[in-house]
Amino acid sequence: MISRRNFITAIATGVAATALLSACGTSGGATGGTAENPTIVNYTWWGNDDRAERTNKAIALFNEKNPTIKVVGTFSDWAGYWQKRATEAAGGGLPDVMQWDLSYLRDYAQRNQLLDLGTAGIDLSGFDEKLLPSGKVNDKQFGIPTSTNAFAVYYDPAKLKEIGVAEPTGTWNYAEYQQFLTEAGTKSGGKYYGSTDFTGIWWMFNIWLRQNNIPAFTADGKLGFTKADLAKWWNLNKDLRGTPAIIPADKVTQLLPKSPFGSNKTVSEPTWDNFMGGYLADSGAKELKMVAVPSDDPDNLGLFLKPSMLMVASAKTKNKDAAGKFIDFMLNSPEVGQIFKTSRGVPASKTQREGTTFDGVDAQVVAYEESIAKYLSDAPEPPIVGFGTLESEFLRIQEELNFGKVTVDQAVDQWFTSAEDVIKQNA
Amino acid sequence: MAQTPALSRRAKSGPALPTKKSKQRRAETLTGYTFLLPWLLGFIVLTAGPMVSSLYLSFTNYNLFEAPKWIGFDNYTNLFADERFLQSVKVTLTYVVFGTPTKLLAALAIAMLLNSKRRGQGFYRSAFYVPSLIGASVSIAIVWKAMFGDAGPVDQFLSFFGVGIGGWVGNPNMTMPMMILLTVWQFGAPMIIFLAGLKQVPAELYEAAEMDGAGWLKKFTSITLPMLSPVIFFNLLMETIHAFQIFASAFIISNGSGGPAGSTMFYTLYLYLRGFGDFRMGYASAMAWLLLIVIGIITLIFFKTSNNWVHYSGDEK
Repeated sequence: MISRRNFITAIATGVAATALLSACGTSGGATGGTAENPTIVNYTWWGNDDRAERTNKAIALFNEKNPTIKVVGTFSDWAGYWQKRATEAAGGGLPDVMQWDLSYLRDYAQRNQLLDLGTAGIDLSGFDEKLLPSGKVNDKQFGIPTSTNAFAVYYDPAKLKEIGVAEPTGTWNYAEYQQFLTEAGTKSGGKYYGSTDFTGIWWMFNIWLRQNNIPAFTADGKLGFTKADLAKWWNLNKDLRGTPAIIPADKVTQLLPKSPFGSNKTVSEPTWDNFMGGYLADSGAKELKMVAVPSDDPDNLGLFLKPSMLMVASAKTKNKDAAGKFIDFMLNSPEVGQIFKTSRGVPASKTQREGTTFDGVDAQVVAYEESIAKYLSDAPEPPIVGFGTLESEFLRIQEELNFGKVTVDQAVDQWFTSAEDVIKQNA
Repeated sequence: MAQTPALSRRAKSGPALPTKKSKQRRAETLTGYTFLLPWLLGFIVLTAGPMVSSLYLSFTNYNLFEAPKWIGFDNYTNLFADERFLQSVKVTLTYVVFGTPTKLLAALAIAMLLNSKRRGQGFYRSAFYVPSLIGASVSIAIVWKAMFGDAGPVDQFLSFFGVGIGGWVGNPNMTMPMMILLTVWQFGAPMIIFLAGLKQVPAELYEAAEMDGAGWLKKFTSITLPMLSPVIFFNLLMETIHAFQIFASAFIISNGSGGPAGSTMFYTLYLYLRGFGDFRMGYASAMAWLLLIVIGIITLIFFKTSNNWVHYSGDEK
């Protein structure tokens, strides 16, 4: 158990340890290292063992090619990652180079924690013009996407065959999508549900807003949609909750941290296309397929390529050149592409993408992104400060809706109260 | 020779004596503090310092990045308009009010069973103590989660008797009983203390009572309970404070979310989510101080009322 004393002690220890670590990190000096005394660049990322193995391979390759620089890597899981970064930032000792997420880019960039990578000698010629703004805050390139992902509806063809439901084609509206979920849930006779309640997925809501040409946020960082919009979205599945089309909330809770789809409880699931490998491993399915999300406007699917992750550097790094060199290597090197394939998403840099051979699952992900290319709109800009909280509140309140604890109108009111508080706090 | 001045001074006047003694005492005090220094340093740097700064932070808006901004009592007043905060208070109080007495009853019952003379008693005592050693660990929380899930051992056992309530973990109405069972199962520490207390009750009291024809219940209420009251008081106080601080098991079982539907949103879990999830350290600090104050008040109430029901041996009451 965490007592208050341990809790505070932990914070203090964390800050002290960070100070010590950052002191170690500067041992290389700013003047450039030699083979005997290389410049140390600290790099940190989140992810599972698979990603750790791949990243360590890439780091070893970089160190081998650049004997005057030594990259030292550490990693943790997603939740712990952001807590550590926050503590480090408070103590003034962020690692030199970090894997980053879009949701947190503005938080740290606006608070002067990140380096403007436009000045770090990184080759950006291989990047799509539509994609780069997603790493920009106040016109400065604080983050550069390593790779992209896009939203998709996954399904398991073997399960559909088993229960006698036709595979979806991906040209469908919401009513047809719901029809498909109902049919799958009903025909399986209780063995499978159709999907999780897709109105509980924050990004799905953002896509729906785009389909209806409603901006999620205004330019000055306020909400761009109204209570009526959110109510309409959550009401979309009003008649499906409690039917076999949608898996009940109590079942979902028990499966965490695995998803219902990965646990073979549903036949389909909308999410990011780079989750393919993870789903295959979790579910043990032989093959999974992806189609585009539903839309009531067949010309506007609301889809976009999102940076699945970005590379950033600490504003306080003493080894800017070495850090830039490492970031450039991770982004552009075809050899790095061969190591990661699509496990980070499809490589964003053309140089890296074209130097990588994709087969099997990886080819499937690349093919999906090519198939939706004509529908893609601009990548989202770094969202407002506190975006992560908005998303977690969305999930939490929608869960209460699914438990039947609140009505749609109450849920909408709760979310808006919470969102306005977050926006006011960070204004 | 060195003693002469002192001796002569002592001969001359009384007040000279304390001067020398206080010098000596000062030297002793200094030695004492020197030995205490490592602990004192640790206390000041790692406990008192952070506590004082968290008191300051509780009056500010602090997000870890920018300098704290003084906002007076806003954090404290905002707490009472925060529905999730009120939910966390409700959840925590339910847990304390139902969990603590149940746990103490279980501990006392087992301690009384283990107090009798029986073969292999040492083994039983160890076996019953083990859960409290591992109960607070992450692994047990994970095991608990699996046991109370859909088609888990608990669900299967209950289904066998025709009680089909499904998994407890995903059911907002069943998570609290599950959390209480988890704490009750860790009765080992209070049990050991009860056992020690039971051993202190003089056997002649029971013998005398038996001579007077007292039954089992009479002996329990008139001898065991009063004789144990200091131990009961101690256990009640410690376990209550402990229960207010529940964190790890709730964090693991709900996957850090306080779910399903806020039913495991304990006070410290909400504090943690506010501080490290939303980066609202000022708000979290205010919560921490409020918890400290509430626990302080409850402790005070326990001590004030203890005169009425706690009997210490040797007291003329």
